[in-house]
Amino acid sequence: MLPKADSNDPTMPDHEQLLLAVARNRDSTAFRALFDHFAPRIKAYMRRLGADGSAAEELVQDVMMAVWLRADRFDPTLASASTWIYTIARNRRIDRVRQERRPELQPDDLAPDGGEEPPPDHQFEAAETASRLRAVIGNLPPEQADVLRLAYYEDKVHTEISAERGIPLGTVKTRLRLALGRLRRAFGEGA
Amino acid sequence: MTVPAHHPAPELLLDYAAGSLRAVQSLLVAAHLAYCPECRAQVAELEACGGVLLADLPPEPVSDSLFGTLMTRLDATVATPTPVPAPAGKSLFPGPLRRAIGAEPEALEWVRVVPGVHLSAWGVSAGTASACLLRMAPGSRVPAHRHTDSEMLLVMKGGFSDEFGAYRVGDVASYDTGTPHHAVADADGECLCLLVQDQPLVFTGPLGWLLNRGFRF
Repeated sequence: MLPKADSNDPTMPDHEQLLLAVARNRDSTAFRALFDHFAPRIKAYMRRLGADGSAAEELVQDVMMAVWLRADRFDPTLASASTWIYTIARNRRIDRVRQERRPELQPDDLAPDGGEEPPPDHQFEAAETASRLRAVIGNLPPEQADVLRLAYYEDKVHTEISAERGIPLGTVKTRLRLALGRLRRAFGEGA
Repeated sequence: MTVPAHHPAPELLLDYAAGSLRAVQSLLVAAHLAYCPECRAQVAELEACGGVLLADLPPEPVSDSLFGTLMTRLDATVATPTPVPAPAGKSLFPGPLRRAIGAEPEALEWVRVVPGVHLSAWGVSAGTASACLLRMAPGSRVPAHRHTDSEMLLVMKGGFSDEFGAYRVGDVASYDTGTPHHAVADADGECLCLLVQDQPLVFTGPLGWLLNRGFRF
């Protein structure tokens, strides 16, 4: 499927611009717009992952506080607004619900031996990539979409998906790898 | 620095990006990312996938008062600029591991398993998984052992070989349950690895009962 230009939908608010406005000017109108869009989705994400209504809203508050406080770390050349907010939501949930600290790579962690710089990280035009990815995810065969959703929405590692669905681990891996291959091609098209 | 040739399994990167991977295994993946631009790119892609899945979830309305409560909390929070982490200085450990351990190898206590092979007294465990460091003197061999569950090694210094390949700094060696392997450290220097297991190892040789004491976590 050909990628759609994101200009197809002129009414879609540009969340990246809103985040940058929050970072630069502490723009509370922009923040409200981000809240209105993302808070109900973050809540849905937390509910899928097992939080009850009030716990989910607590987590929504946590995530949106982090969005306000850390907006200066958002880099639109590395991630879309929803990707960036997704990573915050994922990490806050792990910290709060599992009481674990998620081991994360930080920007100054690269080249730990002080050696030469590694090749530059993959950069992409976030909005275009998102629309290509959306098309790829929407067109995945059901069994591939199923394992992907279980991984993201139900906190299941691939071995648990195998046990839960009663399908052999090898089959789960094959489905995930096929889905990953399709996702990778969505990025390849933009390179 | 060369780019790693052996990577964590793709499913593991997915589990890491999706947030379902548990802390011990996540530590190894995060530490590998410090060495590996290829896997960093893959994780960034899988996080973009998470972003799309989040954006496409059917929204669930939040309480009318939630935004107001949030703004009250934010007003009470002193806005501090993102702290710039102090330069870490030279460390043998990749950042995620350095933060988890809080010390350099020479400051750690080590337990000898066989001559030339040591395990760190430092370790973390959660559920059935555990991690510690494995240090091998040049040319030393880890005794044959069988796995009751999976095992992964991330090389952080030197290198080792076994029947499956040769592993250098940044590489991840993965062994499924029940895969015997015989690791031999490279002859030209000490080898230091992060070892992650999902169950304790069981040694199979005649001295197994003794060695198993050293491998008890």
